[in-house]
Amino acid sequence: METVINDYISRELVQDPALLPLADETRLLESGILDSLSLLRLVVFLEARFGVPVGDADLLPENFASVHAICAYLRAREPGRQETAHG
Amino acid sequence: MGDSFPEKVLRSMEAVTYWAAAAPVLARLPAALGYRIARWRGDWLYRRQAGKRTELARNLRLVLGSELSLAAAQEATREWFRLASCEVIDVMRLRRGTRPLRRLVKIRGKEHLEAALAQGTGAILCCAHFGSYNSAFSVLHAGGFPVTTIGRWQYKYTASLSSVERRFWDLVYARRVRRHRQRPNIEPWPGRFEVATLAARALRANEVVTISIDAPPLDSDRARTVEVPFLGRRARLLPGVVTLAQLTGAPVLMGFLYRSADYRHQVLEISAPVPTEGDTVTAFARCAAKVSAAIQKSPAHWAYWASTADLANLGLIPPVQESSLAAGLLPLPDQAYLPDRPAAAHAAAPG
Repeated sequence: METVINDYISRELVQDPALLPLADETRLLESGILDSLSLLRLVVFLEARFGVPVGDADLLPENFASVHAICAYLRAREPGRQETAHG
Repeated sequence: MGDSFPEKVLRSMEAVTYWAAAAPVLARLPAALGYRIARWRGDWLYRRQAGKRTELARNLRLVLGSELSLAAAQEATREWFRLASCEVIDVMRLRRGTRPLRRLVKIRGKEHLEAALAQGTGAILCCAHFGSYNSAFSVLHAGGFPVTTIGRWQYKYTASLSSVERRFWDLVYARRVRRHRQRPNIEPWPGRFEVATLAARALRANEVVTISIDAPPLDSDRARTVEVPFLGRRARLLPGVVTLAQLTGAPVLMGFLYRSADYRHQVLEISAPVPTEGDTVTAFARCAAKVSAAIQKSPAHWAYWASTADLANLGLIPPVQESSLAAGLLPLPDQAYLPDRPAAAHAAAPG
């Protein structure tokens, strides 16, 4: 999952080549890689690629802070995890 | 030359009285009489506010140049004051489901909006700070089109306003307009990186999302602006409307509300979809050209003539020198805000 997301962000969203190669810990918001419209691109990609709908309430900076954070968010939204979380 | 401090205080008091007391009464009179009195107020302000009058006429000529004679610039300036006064009456007529205003507004091109929504992708109504744009959105919503607006409320981010003033503008203006929206404005503040995604959600829900593309960019957005032909010059604007359309598949329609010569009837003209395929800058330039044409057709409808700082920020006139401000050579920026014209800034989605 990390590789797929890192590849997408590196290929489609990173404007400044100096930020490549992108580390999974790179701060996507602070570094300017993600802005309002690039987040929309990313959400569209994540929903299509992983089949996980991203709710309005989940559009939080902490969920998209880095590739690691995005993966953690998606794993927490996986159906099995949610069932476990809700008992 | 800027107005003196006592003149500014008097002007603010007059404006507050107009918004809070006079305009609500005028809005309940027969429309012909109410708007006529509003027009008289506009003429009175034109005579009284020498600084603002001079700034407006000078900005009109600086930007439109040889297109506008001195006499035409003065006439457009007078008209600007009249329209600003009438726009307050529009807001006050947004009561009873907007019926008092709706019966004065004819919508042309409604079929374009209906056809766009029939596709199920929502529709983007691309606008400008032009005429009674906010009241137009309310009329549209009350007419059965679910409208969501991307835009900052100006009173919330004008640093010089006190909390009492902010509350006042919320009460007399924003609350009346906000009542006729599908959801609260999506406000593109710096750091609100979810703006475009929320707008996409509204479009997916098959709503009409309005975006005014002529807003001066915030410093934090400046890197994302593009330079496009605008009013015979080149302006730096945010092209988010096109990117949003490309990502969501929603068509972009242009919408402008024109006031007729009797000052009470208005026509909301909605265009057929503007092509947004291909290169973002080229596609956005088409939208900017439509806004530019509307302003050139009817200059007095555009709000930003009153703000030298905003025009400079757009790149339409040279940057304002601090020394010029200090010397009183130019009116201070607060003159542009307070508060003759309903002032909710609608910035395009960042990008």
